[in-house]
Amino acid sequence: MIPIESFLVLSAILFSLGVYGVLARRHAVLILMSVELMLNAASINMVAFAVYASPERFEGLIFAVFIMIVAAAEVGLALAIILRLFRNRTTANVDEVKQLKW
Amino acid sequence: MGMEQAWLIPVLPLLSAAVLILVGKYLPRKGDWLSILAIGASFTIFFFVLKDLTTALATGGEFAGGDSGTDWVSFDNFTLRFGFHVDQLSAVMLAVVSFISLMVQVYSVGYMKGDKRYGWYYAVQSLFVASMLTLVLADNFLLLYFAWEGVGLCSFLLIGHYHERRSAAEAAKKAFITTRLGDVGLLIGVILLWRSVGTFDMSDIFAAAQSGQIDQGILTLSTLLILLGAMGKSAQFPFHVWLPDAMEGPTPVSALIHAATMVVAGVYLVARTMPLFEAADGALVIVTVVGLITTFMSAFMGLVMTDMKKVVAYSTLNSLGLMFVALGSGLVTAAMLYLFTHAFFKALLFLASGSVYHATDELDIRKMGGLGKKMPVTAIVFTLGALSMAGLLPLAGFWAKDELLLTTFKHQNAFVFALVLASVVVTALYMARLVLLVFTGTPRDKHLNEHAHEPGLLMKGPIVLLGVLTVVAGLVVFDGVGRLLGFPGGFGEFVFSHEPEAFHVNAGIMASSILLVIAGLAGGLYFWGGTAARAKAVGERLPQIQALLENKFYMDDLYQWLIDRVVLVVAGVVAWYDRVVVNDTGVNGTAAATRFGGFLLKFQQTGLLPNYALFMTIGVVALAVIAFIVGT
Repeated sequence: MIPIESFLVLSAILFSLGVYGVLARRHAVLILMSVELMLNAASINMVAFAVYASPERFEGLIFAVFIMIVAAAEVGLALAIILRLFRNRTTANVDEVKQLKW
Repeated sequence: MGMEQAWLIPVLPLLSAAVLILVGKYLPRKGDWLSILAIGASFTIFFFVLKDLTTALATGGEFAGGDSGTDWVSFDNFTLRFGFHVDQLSAVMLAVVSFISLMVQVYSVGYMKGDKRYGWYYAVQSLFVASMLTLVLADNFLLLYFAWEGVGLCSFLLIGHYHERRSAAEAAKKAFITTRLGDVGLLIGVILLWRSVGTFDMSDIFAAAQSGQIDQGILTLSTLLILLGAMGKSAQFPFHVWLPDAMEGPTPVSALIHAATMVVAGVYLVARTMPLFEAADGALVIVTVVGLITTFMSAFMGLVMTDMKKVVAYSTLNSLGLMFVALGSGLVTAAMLYLFTHAFFKALLFLASGSVYHATDELDIRKMGGLGKKMPVTAIVFTLGALSMAGLLPLAGFWAKDELLLTTFKHQNAFVFALVLASVVVTALYMARLVLLVFTGTPRDKHLNEHAHEPGLLMKGPIVLLGVLTVVAGLVVFDGVGRLLGFPGGFGEFVFSHEPEAFHVNAGIMASSILLVIAGLAGGLYFWGGTAARAKAVGERLPQIQALLENKFYMDDLYQWLIDRVVLVVAGVVAWYDRVVVNDTGVNGTAAATRFGGFLLKFQQTGLLPNYALFMTIGVVALAVIAFIVGT
């Protein structure tokens, strides 16, 4: 089997790409996609540990399922908000939404 | 009814004071009858207590005094107690206080008639009487201090009775602040004693002092501090400045508080704590010195004062100084006898002055003269009082002065004795001056003289009664008279420090005192008789001394300078600190700093989502790094 570090490194790289996406993207939906990427990276990490560190137990797999469920719910909510935002302001660009400032 | 019910004596006026303060204005006549009734009841109960006391003394043996009262709060090691102790010393004080207050309250019905705050006057007078009676009956220092402050408060309220007048308000303030300086001394002294002995009870503390249980330094210090308290209340030098100004109060107040009762509280305190004074080194010397200074200063000032009540006030200072000199010998008999007789003739002098004021609306003796024809009874009793003060045989003051001279001669050094003899002359001089300028000669203000009239019965009655007592009260020094009244003997057999001191005649002393009194009175007649021209001439030839005396030895100016340049300056510094450091920097400053911090922090809320995301990311990374470092 390939060593666990490869999965962990993969997970780390995917996570970092996600973080970069969150910070650097201007479109709200793209930020959401990057958040999804981060969540899936964490999921890979969980599954890797589940398979390699304790094969007879399966907490990691359960946790991965949880992550998927939470991600789904969160995306639904987030898209609703973005839709509302787009309808009010005709822009999904987060740089232009700054009414809640000091 | 006996010594066990002695606690009723202060409690009844206290209750009447409470009733008068709360509902006084709804009572008929504003409740003056209630006050008089309560004091009369106290006076009556006093007689029962006295009977019990003399019976106990007659059975012989050691008599330590009758106790009554209740416990207030108990701690592990000591108890705070409303305790009352009756013995010969407090019996004399009780007689003086209850009788004179009764006379004054009856007199006030006439004098204070129509006053705007009639009810309040009676309420505070009752409270004063209650406090004073508590003071003389207290068996522990805490209750004594409590009552001490009570009389001080009532004195303040009563001096400031006419507080719409600026001078009265100032005088009340001056009295309170000056005696306060002494009161602080008393409090510290009492606390020092409590810390050494562990109790406030007087007899325990005296026993401890006499058996040498208290460290000598602490004992001397606390005794001197207690003396400070006595000096404040009894207006000894340098605290004497409040008493002449206290004449701003109504005359009955001056008679009661500043002649017969409150000012002698200091004398009583020293007499009561005499075991401490004997055990402390040098305290008695200071008592004598202070008394002598006060006596002479006030006697000379009384020679030039022009306000009738102020002259009598200075004569009070004179007498108080003499009482302190008497106490300086370590024996209480002479001082207490002088206190006893002094109460009668001084109250008489004040009440009679009040009658003059009531009749003529004037106190300046330069405008008086010849009032004897218009107010004969007042003139006669006033003269009796003045002669008693001067010490003319056979009036009460003579016997008291004689006892005083005897004690000084036997127990103090010759210098003190000589000075006391000299003071007899000066006293006679200024009393003669007062009588001559007010009641004899030709009237200097016709208008004033026209309106002069004798006062009504309510005012005349107490004065005449006091006049009678001024004549006969001194005879209690004789054993025969004392035994006739039910006492073990004369005054000296009743009130004494260690052993009874029977009165005996020292012909030389008696003769010299009689001669000096006559010399003083004759001198007064010479200088101030007729048109008082000779006195004026003397005044013109010695202008600096005249000015010195009229300005009260510049003591008031000195104190005012001290207040302006020292006290107020320090107060200004403290006020600056409080305003700038504590308030502006401390309180307002912290608030301003918090607000500024908030102002700076609000710029963090940019409203831009990527900013928030960045902050979060940086935070998480920082935490991870720290966790990594701390973990390894």
